[in-house]
This record gives sequence, C-alpha cells and structure tokens, in this order.
Amino acid sequence: MKNQILTSVRFLSVLAASAGFAVAAPLAFDFKDPKGVNNVQFKLDAPLESITGTATGISGTVTFDPAAPAATSGRIVLDAASLTVGNPLMGEHLRSDQWLDVARHPTIVFEAVALQNIRPQGAQILADVTGRLTVKGVTRDLTAPVTLTYLADKLGARVNDPKVKGDLLVLRTNFVINRSDFGIKAGQVTDKVAESIELSLSIAGAAPRS
Amino acid sequence: MKTTARFTRGLRIAALVLFVAGIGLWAAAGAHVGWTQTSTVTLQRDEITGIDFPVRRAALVPGVEFPLAATLAAAALAGLSLLPRPNRAAALP
Repeated sequence: MKNQILTSVRFLSVLAASAGFAVAAPLAFDFKDPKGVNNVQFKLDAPLESITGTATGISGTVTFDPAAPAATSGRIVLDAASLTVGNPLMGEHLRSDQWLDVARHPTIVFEAVALQNIRPQGAQILADVTGRLTVKGVTRDLTAPVTLTYLADKLGARVNDPKVKGDLLVLRTNFVINRSDFGIKAGQVTDKVAESIELSLSIAGAAPRS
Repeated sequence: MKTTARFTRGLRIAALVLFVAGIGLWAAAGAHVGWTQTSTVTLQRDEITGIDFPVRRAALVPGVEFPLAATLAAAALAGLSLLPRPNRAAALP
C-alpha cells in the first residue's frame, strides 16, 4: 500500500514537472517601448551641483524563463544620443567627442551573460547579473544587482487593449561605473566631475502571444 | 556740468536696477544653486509596471549665472560712473 502511494506521488510529480516544462518555455521580451517609460537615470557628482540626466532610447531583447530564471540572457541597447541633461550646453559637452563621442559611438550596450545568486522574493526575483558593458567602444565585464518582475498576462493592460495577449518583464538595477574604465576623460577634470557615474535602469519588455 | 552729473546718476541707477533685477529674478525662480536649466524633470509612475519614469518639460530655471552676470554688469556700470569725465565748460575759450 505504501509503495503504491509512493509510486502515485512520483508519477504525479513527473506529470506536474512535464506540464511545467510544456507551459514555461523561455520567452523573448522586446524592450523597445513605445510608451517612453523605459529609462536610464545617471548622476555624477560635481562641485556646484550633481550632474543628473535621463535617457529613454532603449531597445533590445531579453530571453527569460519564469521556471528557470538562471538561464536569463539578453542584450539591452541605449541610444547614446537620447542622454539628456537640464543644461543644453552641458548636454552638448556630454555628447561631444571629448566625453561620450556619440557620433562615433552611438550606442551603449549591456550584454547579459549569466544570472547568479537568485533569490525569489514574492513576485520578484532578486539576482546578480553578469555581463559585458560597452561604453564609447570600450567593453568591460560587469556584475550588478538586478530585480526581475515577471507580470504574466499584463501586456493587454499596458497597451490598453484587452485583446492583446502577452507577458511583461520588468528589470531594475542600480550600479556604479568609473568613467576612466571606459576611456571617458580618464584621469582628467576629476576636480570638476566625479570619476564614478551612478546608473539606475528601469525597463519593461513585452512578450506578445498569438 | 549738469549733464555729466545726470549721466553719472543714470549709470548708478541702471547698475542698481540691473543688480536688483538679476538677484530678484534668480530668487523668485527658487534661487537654484546650480547651472541654468532649460528643462525640468518630474517622475511619474507607470501603473502596470510600477516603473518610475522621468517626464521632461521645457522650463527655465535660472542658475548662478544670473546673479553672477547681474552683479558683474552692475559693477561695470557703477565703475563707469566713477570714471572722471572731461569738463567741457572748462575747455571752452
């Protein structure tokens, strides 16, 4: 009798796992956001006031499997020309060949390679994403804390069209880079602009279902 | 002689008006202790994703350049009023 119960439990476990695999396939989330909500905010300390700015020209794709978040990978691209600060002259300097050289390096790219230290927390998944960040043509390895929020069946609500079916994936991360590491006025004007740049990324991708 | 005195007084009044206007405009706009901004950012929250996103609006926020420029211009005018002017009456035969 005991053996029969154990066999049944094992059978049900295998069945449930199989069903899980059948439903939870990796999903490709597109981060091109027509609503302009996806954003990067950056901050550099400076003597008179901190230089803060925003950017919204975000695109890219992330493959995410709700059942296997460790397999997450993808590429997020930021249009460097979309970086904006409140002072137009400062913005010109920022995009000039002296700083980001947007004309020659029009994109800032983060390529996610691995997700580690995964800690589910309610509806969110906390993890450390490891990848390669390319700024001004210089690529560096980077590990940053990331929060993933998987919103199943929320695409219709986001686009205000219940007929549209699909899921959303929200990614949030905050990390610091050194401009010297990316050849941005390395070791120069440190008395006027800080070496470290604080970055905050909040983006949502959509995976439509037919 | 009268013209010179009137001109000097005019310069000093202009300097005072410029100084007060520059400081006043800057103070009235919030006395922003930073560089002048031509746009401001407010954060809004996307209801579905919960993402806080910046909304940039065109707005002039006078920075420290305003009181600084006003002070320099006022000082220049006031300085000009202190320069010795040729006495035309004495030069006449």
